[in-house]
Amino acid sequence: MNEMTEGHTVKRFDEEMIFLHRLVLEIGGLAQDQLKRATQTLNDKDPSAAREVISRDQELNALDVQADEELINLIIKRQPMARDLREIITISKAVSDLERVGDEVRKIAQLTIHVYDTDGSPPNKQILRDINTMALFVGEMLEMSLTAFDELDAARALEVIRLDSELEEEYRSALRRLTTFVMEDSRTIGHMVDVVLGLRALERIGGHAKNIAGYVIFLITGSDVRHESLERIEAQII
Amino acid sequence: MIVEKTAPAEDASQVIHANFGGTVGDLTVAEPRMTARNVNVHYADKHAIIDVSLDIGRHEVVALIGPSGCGKSTFLRCLNRMNDTIDSCRVSGEIMLDGQDIYDKKLDVVPLRARVGMVFQKPNPFPKSIYDNVAYGPRIHGLAEDQSALDEMVEDSLRRAGLWDEVKDRLQQPGTGLSGGQQQRLCIARTIAVSPEVILMDEPCSALDPIATAKIEELIDELRQNFTIVIVTHSMQQAARVSQRTGYFHLGRLIEVGKTDEIFTNPQHKLTEDYITGRFG
Amino acid sequence: MADRSTTTLDKVNASLARRYAKERRFRRMGLVAIATGLLFVLLLFTSIISNGYSAFWQTHVKLDITFNAEQLGIGDARDFEALSSADYAALVRASLKEIFPEVRERKERRKLYKMISTGAPLLLREMLINDPSLVGSHHAIWLPADDDIDMLVKGQIDRTLPESARRLNDQVVGWVDRLTENGVVAQLFNTTFFTAGDSREPELAGIGGAITGSFYALLVTLLLAFPIGVATAIYLEEFAPKNRWTDLIEININNLAAVPSIVFGLLGLALFINIAGLPRSAPLVGGLVLTLMTLPTIIIASRAALKSVPPSIREAAIGIGASKMQTVFHHVLPQALPGMLTGTIIGMAQALGETAPLLMIGMVAFVVDIPGGPLDPSTALPVQIFLWADSPERAFVERTSAAIMVLLAFLISMNLLAVLLRKKFERRW
Repeated sequence: MNEMTEGHTVKRFDEEMIFLHRLVLEIGGLAQDQLKRATQTLNDKDPSAAREVISRDQELNALDVQADEELINLIIKRQPMARDLREIITISKAVSDLERVGDEVRKIAQLTIHVYDTDGSPPNKQILRDINTMALFVGEMLEMSLTAFDELDAARALEVIRLDSELEEEYRSALRRLTTFVMEDSRTIGHMVDVVLGLRALERIGGHAKNIAGYVIFLITGSDVRHESLERIEAQII
Repeated sequence: MIVEKTAPAEDASQVIHANFGGTVGDLTVAEPRMTARNVNVHYADKHAIIDVSLDIGRHEVVALIGPSGCGKSTFLRCLNRMNDTIDSCRVSGEIMLDGQDIYDKKLDVVPLRARVGMVFQKPNPFPKSIYDNVAYGPRIHGLAEDQSALDEMVEDSLRRAGLWDEVKDRLQQPGTGLSGGQQQRLCIARTIAVSPEVILMDEPCSALDPIATAKIEELIDELRQNFTIVIVTHSMQQAARVSQRTGYFHLGRLIEVGKTDEIFTNPQHKLTEDYITGRFG
Repeated sequence: MADRSTTTLDKVNASLARRYAKERRFRRMGLVAIATGLLFVLLLFTSIISNGYSAFWQTHVKLDITFNAEQLGIGDARDFEALSSADYAALVRASLKEIFPEVRERKERRKLYKMISTGAPLLLREMLINDPSLVGSHHAIWLPADDDIDMLVKGQIDRTLPESARRLNDQVVGWVDRLTENGVVAQLFNTTFFTAGDSREPELAGIGGAITGSFYALLVTLLLAFPIGVATAIYLEEFAPKNRWTDLIEININNLAAVPSIVFGLLGLALFINIAGLPRSAPLVGGLVLTLMTLPTIIIASRAALKSVPPSIREAAIGIGASKMQTVFHHVLPQALPGMLTGTIIGMAQALGETAPLLMIGMVAFVVDIPGGPLDPSTALPVQIFLWADSPERAFVERTSAAIMVLLAFLISMNLLAVLLRKKFERRW
């Protein structure tokens, strides 16, 4: 796959590393797909599809468990060192972040069920607009962080970290907009809590994408950047 | 197209020597116990150690790792002039112990070796009793005034080597009758009986089972309180477990040196990384 | 895949029988070789023992001896001088005359007297000198018979041969038979053989002198060769720098070990006797020559013993600050000593069995007296064997074999000692 996973004297080691690397991409792809589908159910007003999304999260969880088992086996057998060790740590953490992404996606699907599977009137389309845009945004972030992981692209990972602060802005302005809607039309208040929870879930997904990007930088440079400012991270990469 | 192939190993070594730009990492420490500067060792026509400089701090464990024949053991043996016993071996450069050049012509190697003790790869107790093994050093150096002082030294050394409880009832039995791990701890007791400042260990666990190895590692950690230890090991896990600083040797050069946790998570030199991740050769 | 593996297995199986057959053949050949070797050893031992065992017994004749002062011709004198020059043969003659009064003719009488060994009077003399009060008393004493009588009694002289072809005529044989009937002929343990020096008379000859000579020579050899050899080995192995000079010395020592021993004899003759002026035939010179001969063996064995001490022991000692000297004497030497001792004993055994160099320095002389020190003329055990093997008397044949048995016993016990030493001190570490 890349220089992180190949070139060991023990060829099985390479294979195991590549398998784990691919597993991360698979879990990531599944999480992205889930996110897309969940957002789609909201647009389609389809609670039954939303239920499917929720039940499909089991697949994600199963992959997470499998990844953990593989990781433990690899540590027992190979005692990875240096960049192998960093790759393993990165994979382990990325997998658990992706699993949480799955959990957050479930909350979006829940939103669909709450909004369209009740006797009450459906909400104003306006208040759901921010969910759509933010979902696209975090979907992009997730995609970028996974690509950065696959290609060991520190610049791209850095971009994800930068995008996360944009996401924060987006999230705050969405909340402000919602407040205005509530002030305009107090009937929407019933759906408001669900929508806020949905936005919050998307914001968390963005956070997980940022975490993954942080691990990628750790993987490439060997230094932990999760709690550093963007400027200092940039300084380290260059 | 036909390309003439040269021997790959030779080729690779030439590339490494040609591109070598000095040891990566900080080879100095604040208050060094020993300092080696530009040490070169030749065996007959083989250049075994090339321009190695390294500081060894007080109360620290320095691990030297590297592939076989990389010169780490040779360098270790320079530190107490064990290489003197090999006729064809020539050492140049400067090695200081507490600011004193140990390769000074006027310096006597006998007291030097009492100050810089050595533990070997294969446990090598003398074919004498356990007591005599430990007492030998103090006897030849005249460290004990009388029998009771000697007894005390033997007991103290065996205690510090974590062997006392296992052998206190059979001190007069031959040291060669102990198990491998016990023999190695006996050798360590024998070394610390003369109160050296530095203990050199040349792959001390390579002939031992994992439990015995664990005991030695535990012992090394305790000995660090009183001694400076330089250990050569083939086990990277062992180096990671016992040492504070690690140096990587390759083809007679010290490629990289640094804090052990950094070396094992984020080595700077490609050769170091390749070696410790198992991508070597 | 499956096909190939079965064919491989078939091939292996096919060759298996041949391989085992080869192995069995080799084993059988080894057994045959060992059996042949054992057979020859057995042959050697049976031939020597069957020839020689009888030499440990000597035919004695019990004679009634009256220590008659008149016959002795000493009158009233009882002093040492008188006793030692008295005519003891007369006592024997008188006694024999009494048993065979019918023998009157001078010629026959001489034959009669010859039946008793010429050493008998000496025996009587010794008795009397030890105890002068015996004069006048009467004793039945076992006296050694002459070697021809001895041979007759032991059955080595064939009675069926015509009289002229025998060493003893019918008359003498008759006398012996009469004595035997009287019950005064017996085979007693031959102490003379172990205590006496050489003699022209087989019944008086012994290996005592030769053993003493060999003992002195070996003592000199041991005292010189062991310290010199061990010191040389230690220096060469532990201290000497490895350069062309030490290589040269090593090669020469190895060459010396292969030099024929007679050359050492020539060297000893030139060096110790002609230049240094030491006495000929002396065990001291023999010891010096044997020292020259055994030195290479001891040096080579000692060096091998030193080499076999694992370097880890040296490193251990040096590693805690022992000096070179302490390392060698505290650790290496004690480990190597059993090997060195084994080498030395084997070298000494070699020296004990050596004849050729001793011939050159005159230790081949006919020496009757037992040497009292390393400067007295003497012979050595193997040389004695060599001398006796040349003697015409039938009785010397069995004595030669007996001497060989004694020599072999010494050699075997020395080698056994070497093995025991090695077993006892051999250590594994």
